[in-house]
Amino acid sequence: MTRTQSVSSSERLTLIDHLARWITWPRFLFAITLTFFVTSILFPFYWMASSSFKTYAEIGSRHPVYIPSALRLDAYQELFGYWQFANNVFNSVRVAVPTSIIAVILSTLGAYAVARLEFGGKEAMLNGILIVYLFPGILLVIPLFAMIAQIGSTLGFEVQDNLPVLILTYLAQTLPVALYMLANYFRTIPAEIEQAGLIDGCSRLGVIWRITLPLAVPALVSVAIYTFMIAWNEFLYALVFLNDRRMFTMPIQINTIFNDPTPRPHVVMAASTIMTLPVVILFLALERFLEEGLSAGGVKG
Amino acid sequence: MSLSSKERPSLLPQRWNSLKAREVRLAWAMVLPTALIVFGLVLFPAIFSIWISFRSVGLNNLNNVFQAPFVGLENYRLVINDFAFKWQGFRNWGAAVTSVVYSFSSTVLTLIVGLIAALLLNRPFRARGLARAIFLFPYVAPIVSVAFVWRWILDPRPSGVLNDILMRLGIIELPKAYLATRGLALLLVIVFEAWRYFPFAMLMLLARLQAIDTTLYEAAEVDGASAWQKFRFVTLPELRYVLGATFLLRLIWTFNKFDDIFLLTGGGFGTNVLPVLTYQFSFRSYNFGKGAANAMILLLMLVVFLVIYVGVVMRRAEE
Repeated sequence: MTRTQSVSSSERLTLIDHLARWITWPRFLFAITLTFFVTSILFPFYWMASSSFKTYAEIGSRHPVYIPSALRLDAYQELFGYWQFANNVFNSVRVAVPTSIIAVILSTLGAYAVARLEFGGKEAMLNGILIVYLFPGILLVIPLFAMIAQIGSTLGFEVQDNLPVLILTYLAQTLPVALYMLANYFRTIPAEIEQAGLIDGCSRLGVIWRITLPLAVPALVSVAIYTFMIAWNEFLYALVFLNDRRMFTMPIQINTIFNDPTPRPHVVMAASTIMTLPVVILFLALERFLEEGLSAGGVKG
Repeated sequence: MSLSSKERPSLLPQRWNSLKAREVRLAWAMVLPTALIVFGLVLFPAIFSIWISFRSVGLNNLNNVFQAPFVGLENYRLVINDFAFKWQGFRNWGAAVTSVVYSFSSTVLTLIVGLIAALLLNRPFRARGLARAIFLFPYVAPIVSVAFVWRWILDPRPSGVLNDILMRLGIIELPKAYLATRGLALLLVIVFEAWRYFPFAMLMLLARLQAIDTTLYEAAEVDGASAWQKFRFVTLPELRYVLGATFLLRLIWTFNKFDDIFLLTGGGFGTNVLPVLTYQFSFRSYNFGKGAANAMILLLMLVVFLVIYVGVVMRRAEE
């Protein structure tokens, strides 16, 4: 009896010994910090998704429900029924997709000129475009509104609830970033390849189309995703420029649902989940392309 | 004829059809759309904003803003004397001081958290790629979604998840209204900023960390340096410039930021900052002139800071 006990305790000792040798202080600290980071990052996202599957009863109970009893779609039904969220999803797509496409086309042209061609006033123009980083959106929104209202009253269009106007303001926000990202990328493509094309009798535009663009596909994809994400997430301009509920983009509609006198956290969370999902999926799928742009000061945020 | 052109080729006017001239024209044609949009919709409005800040502009004449009456410095006087703007003692900071405190603290905290995250991810371990992707989530997710999740986590009712956890752990006895308590609200908004924007700092720092010459660490090891000493005397000096640049960028962006505080607290409970106050002047009380004046003051504070920063910090860095 005493013997077996002593054997097992000595075994335990060696096990603990073994563990103790493996868990050094740095390793322990590392594991703790990593766990802390991962949980504090992921918990809000878990809470968002799980809350969206709860019912009114679960949302309003005395204690929070950590794991919903079943994947109930009550919140989604209310969202798409009463709040007509499909409309808002559609509006967001209608704004974000054109912004992204136009930004890629215009910034490709501009970035190529900046990276490859020499012209007077290039530096001044680049500096002017850089200044955009300094101006707060809130400073621009008032004069923009007044200015476009003025132009609109002469040309006969409305400032408010006009999605093309919103696209134009998003372009102004995204083009500088897109221009910088693409110009940096174009500079990494050896000029000799293009010169070979020029000597073979291609025009400049022909060279861009046949040689440069195919080589720059990764950069083009990341610029497209970035501008899409900026337009998809944008809040302030949409808040000021959109007035009619049917024209709201997703962020504004979510804000409206949140500020409704009756609290509906599960519906807000359902809408947030729908809005977050495409962004996170796009990001995970194309992470390799995107990280470089992020650190290149890509997203102003 | 041909002789003279050979002698002084540089004085000849460049021909309209020369290859070079054509390239220059092509370049301008290619940059023009971008330049027009950016100058027309950013730089021009910025200058126009100065003009508006000296006029009386309300809802009634917003559509006819060029005829708005000139009021001199009246808008600026109104802003500076506004109770929401000016310092009124330690219990009520006013938006100007709150803005400065908020921007500096969240930028510093963001950098610290970003540095820790970068150091974590700098050492190889299994699933590092996955961890790296997860670390970027807060930064990529839409601000509206994450702000509202945080509000829902910080819900003041006992059913709010943070209240529930803290009460179960016995840390608090009664549920707290986190975002509706002066002091606590500002602190939480700063923590939120660090949570959302540390990935940006992390990426910048990680790129630099991975470029540090490993022989520096080997040399330090030979000299018998501890882990802390290696960090203090090798890593930190190598990161100095990136830290400076990231600090500056994040500070500018945080100072200009509207969405985060507007969505989290609406600017209440001691968290009102200048961008949110600008919005309130313009779109709550519909005094666009006053809003523009407030925005100009914000920009002015930023420019003054930048001038000092470039003048003092950059010069010291050069020495």
